[in-house]
Amino acid sequence: MLELNNLTVHYGHKRVVHDVSLSLAPGQTLGLAGESGSGKSTVAMSVLRLLPRSARVEGEVLLDGEDVAAMSWGRLRAVRWASASIVFQGAMHSLNPVHRVGEQIAEPMRLHGTPGRVTELLEQVELPRDKARAYPHELSGGQKQRVMIAMALACGPRLVVADEPTTALDVVVQEQVLALMTRLVAEQDLGLLMISHDLSVLARTCEDIAVMQGGELVERGRTREVIANPRHPHTAALTAAFPVIGDPAHRWSDPAPAPEPLLRVRDLVVDYGRTRAVDGVDLTIGRGEIVALVGQSGSGKTTLARTIMGLRAPSSGRVIFDGVEVGRGSRAIKAFRRQVQLVLQDPSSALNPRHTVFDAVAEGLRVHGVPGDHEALVTAAVERAELRPASLYLDALPHELSGGQQQRVVIAGALVLQPRLLLADEPVASLDASVRGEIVALLLRLRAELGLASLLITHDLGLAWQIADRVAVMHQGKIVEQGPVGQVLLTPSHDYTRALLRAVPQV
Amino acid sequence: MRLAGRFGGAALSLLMVAVLGFFLFRVVPGDPVVSMTRGRPVTAEMQAALRAQFGLDRPLHEQFWTYLTSLLRGDLGTSFTFRRPVAEVILDRVGPTVLLVGTATLIAVLLGLWLGVRAAWRRDSAFDRVTTGVSLTLWAVPTFWLGMLLMMVTGDLFPSRGMRDTDTAPDLLSQALDVGHHLVLPSLTLVAVVCAEYALVMRSSLLEEMHAPYLTTARAKGLRDDLVRRRHAVPNAVLPAITLVFLRFGLVVAGAITTETVFSWPGLGLLFHDALTGPDYFLLQGLLVVTAGAVVVMNLLADLLHGVLDPRVGVV
Amino acid sequence: MSFADGVRTGRGGAAGAFLAHRTGVAGAVALAVAALVAVLAPLFIPADALDVTRVTAQAWQPPGAGHWLGTDHTGRSVALLMAQGTGTSLFVGLTAAVLSVGIGTFAGVVSGHFGGLLAGALLRVTDFFLVLPALVLAIALSTVLPRGLGTIILAIGLTSWPSTARMVRAQTLTIEARPFVERARALGGGHAHVIGRHVLPSVVPLVLVNATLSVASAIVAESTLAFLGLGDPTRISWGAMLHQAQLHGAVPQRAWWFLLPPGLAIVVVVLAFTLVGRALEAVVTPKR
Repeated sequence: MLELNNLTVHYGHKRVVHDVSLSLAPGQTLGLAGESGSGKSTVAMSVLRLLPRSARVEGEVLLDGEDVAAMSWGRLRAVRWASASIVFQGAMHSLNPVHRVGEQIAEPMRLHGTPGRVTELLEQVELPRDKARAYPHELSGGQKQRVMIAMALACGPRLVVADEPTTALDVVVQEQVLALMTRLVAEQDLGLLMISHDLSVLARTCEDIAVMQGGELVERGRTREVIANPRHPHTAALTAAFPVIGDPAHRWSDPAPAPEPLLRVRDLVVDYGRTRAVDGVDLTIGRGEIVALVGQSGSGKTTLARTIMGLRAPSSGRVIFDGVEVGRGSRAIKAFRRQVQLVLQDPSSALNPRHTVFDAVAEGLRVHGVPGDHEALVTAAVERAELRPASLYLDALPHELSGGQQQRVVIAGALVLQPRLLLADEPVASLDASVRGEIVALLLRLRAELGLASLLITHDLGLAWQIADRVAVMHQGKIVEQGPVGQVLLTPSHDYTRALLRAVPQV
Repeated sequence: MRLAGRFGGAALSLLMVAVLGFFLFRVVPGDPVVSMTRGRPVTAEMQAALRAQFGLDRPLHEQFWTYLTSLLRGDLGTSFTFRRPVAEVILDRVGPTVLLVGTATLIAVLLGLWLGVRAAWRRDSAFDRVTTGVSLTLWAVPTFWLGMLLMMVTGDLFPSRGMRDTDTAPDLLSQALDVGHHLVLPSLTLVAVVCAEYALVMRSSLLEEMHAPYLTTARAKGLRDDLVRRRHAVPNAVLPAITLVFLRFGLVVAGAITTETVFSWPGLGLLFHDALTGPDYFLLQGLLVVTAGAVVVMNLLADLLHGVLDPRVGVV
Repeated sequence: MSFADGVRTGRGGAAGAFLAHRTGVAGAVALAVAALVAVLAPLFIPADALDVTRVTAQAWQPPGAGHWLGTDHTGRSVALLMAQGTGTSLFVGLTAAVLSVGIGTFAGVVSGHFGGLLAGALLRVTDFFLVLPALVLAIALSTVLPRGLGTIILAIGLTSWPSTARMVRAQTLTIEARPFVERARALGGGHAHVIGRHVLPSVVPLVLVNATLSVASAIVAESTLAFLGLGDPTRISWGAMLHQAQLHGAVPQRAWWFLLPPGLAIVVVVLAFTLVGRALEAVVTPKR
């Protein structure tokens, strides 16, 4: 049904896809995996000839035996959506904000003369029929993605291309959308080409899997086999990034024996206007301990971290650091911030694009007026974050570094003040799978060498399994369960923890 | 909730306009009576009498209170040059200005938005280059100079002074034709300058939208390019453009002042010119309050219109 | 992008990027010429030539051998008036723009960075002045203040800052929402640190672009005020020349030589500033 023969795509002199050949039979599901920049989305767009004009395409894209590149505009328009449709990444921007979603679903049906009704399609994707009158901004992320799916099915195509369909979604919602797609593909005997950076998502939905790296196809086979016995090192790196919860081989550290408490949070409450974001949280982090704070987006975990840092004022409750209550005055908070450092999710935006690595790392020294040789201190911190030799990096600007290197700079900027606790907010979530492991290993090494404690805020239970000593599960502003990793993740006592664990796609 | 906020904001703005109108002409250095009578043979007694007549001899807070209460009654004081109530003088001149500004704005909006959409859709085409080039040049042209130039170039083709001739037949049709004939040059001047601005605004607004992912969705559905543009891109791009058009209503007002001065069009703009050459402070103050108030109201209307047109904003 | 590649393409490309905009370069050249004329004119033009009481030539002479741009209603050479007026127009445009952009940047950063009542009030005032017709206010101001160059600069500068303030505020808010500012705060950085190290450096390029465009509109505003007779009566400017042209009936007399040059000069200089501003804008805002 779909056949790519020696597909090569250039943007100017840059080759983004090189000699990719793939085929997909009706009813077959194929996952295309790869990191950012691997060319996987370009492949998806080439199926319906949707690449920008600056793209130069060589090779064949055969849709039902017909070359897409050779089609007239009229023929191409007739084929688009009727033969193959696309579920785009980021439904928020892929739906027109000023049209009602029902109208947007009906548009291709009218255009291609397909019989059928919007309400039936909405029922198929398990949305109430009155949502047809809603505008995109009135729907949640999961609902928008369902609308995208309904829209993709509107003209009864035999092939659906899904480009990162669940990337922006929360784990629990992601699981619902994936289940829906799996069911619809099976019921309607659709061909599915799903593109994702997340192997576990593909493993959940696709029989076959193909792995791309640097524009080339490096491995293809049955999903089970590829993941169990990766032949290409890149595939192996991707698989390793998704640890199996409960597998001792994926535990990278042994839980430390209960240490002395370093940070204690007592009955902390944070209100945003009338909503209570954090609702009476008690949490303790011991010296040198790694505590994972897990939960869905909106559970209040990020607000909790910001409040601990003093970036937002609590409505009530106390934060006690090293036996002393942290005051609310700016002087007290400033002193506290020398001891506790924040590492943010997206390193590319956590660094000022105009500041060199040296400036970024030395920022803390300047703010606190630390005496001494800043150059030596910065060099030491940068090397501790494993950017060696430091001299190679000090004058670089953030955009000249890779994501992993940027995150190391952020960590070096924290280390330079010799803190005792790191608050790491999704420190690896925006990194490519192959880099993720290195940063996780760095955090563990810092703990071993410096006795640095961490509060790891994450939605990723696999990450918690990998490195945390203890896990705290947060739901609707409350900590519903906390305890040693093995206990919480393997024998969860709270329903919500169980629901979270069920939602994790297993490789 | 939002609606109440908008009205509240507009009311506050109107109050600020009133306060500004008062203090600009009282607190600023110089005695208004001295500067209004400058260059005329006036004795100190006459000046004192004038001061008493305008209430300028009383304490400031008392003056302000009198000013505010009479403003609420629609009393803007008495014009020094016309020897008539300012409100009456202004009311007489509203019609011609509304006619001129209304005609020009309507044409400029339609033409400007159309040019902007076309230029953006065919970015870097000859059409785009010419439109952008001409618009940028027109943006640099002082309105009054363009008016003088048009007047000189067209010669006797169009009347260049006033709004109607005295010897036109009194029937409605002849009068309308005469006014229309007089309207050509002033409105052309105003359209040229304002339309350039609108075209540039619309062009950049649509260019902003051109990379929106939902356009890819529309193309993937099999829509023709012109449908992608008409149904998906333009409705999104027009909203910010229309808001900006209304926001820059002050620009049209400014253009109207010089255009009316050049063509002696008997509207508020010409009145402005007369008031400042006097100078007639009470008339100027009244004009400031009235035009600024009108702009605030236009702005409120734009806001409400945006709420109706854009589902993301919502009316309530 | 490999590491070594990145270092070389990183900086130093701004000048080159600007030079790639041909229209921007043309604008810059035009401005250089105008600046040169403005500086040289007062040095070379004898005072007698511009003194109404001492000129000997006839009034309203069309361009010819003696006066290659003709003469005005008093017999002064239009060419010399043009040259003399360049300085006034540029000076008023530049200083008014500096004043307006200065106020705007201050108001924008303050209302963007600080929350609370003060910022709210400042924003309210900015929005208020943003909608008011700036020219109307400028006219009112220059009517009540004593005539003079200072008044014109003040009138334009004090009424045209809100758009800069709006833009700077938006940029400040954008920057403040970036995680690197949160990181700076988490490191213990206070207001001065965040504004000085993060907000201002990122606002400066935009302010520069805005300043260039502000000069353009300030020059138009100056010519408009002068045309309405609110200019400095002791100085020659392009707008004042057009005021004289209107007052003494250049249009009915078809004295195109008195009407065209000042207007064209304004258009060229304003367009030049606009083109330079747009080219700068393209350089400082990265392409998508």
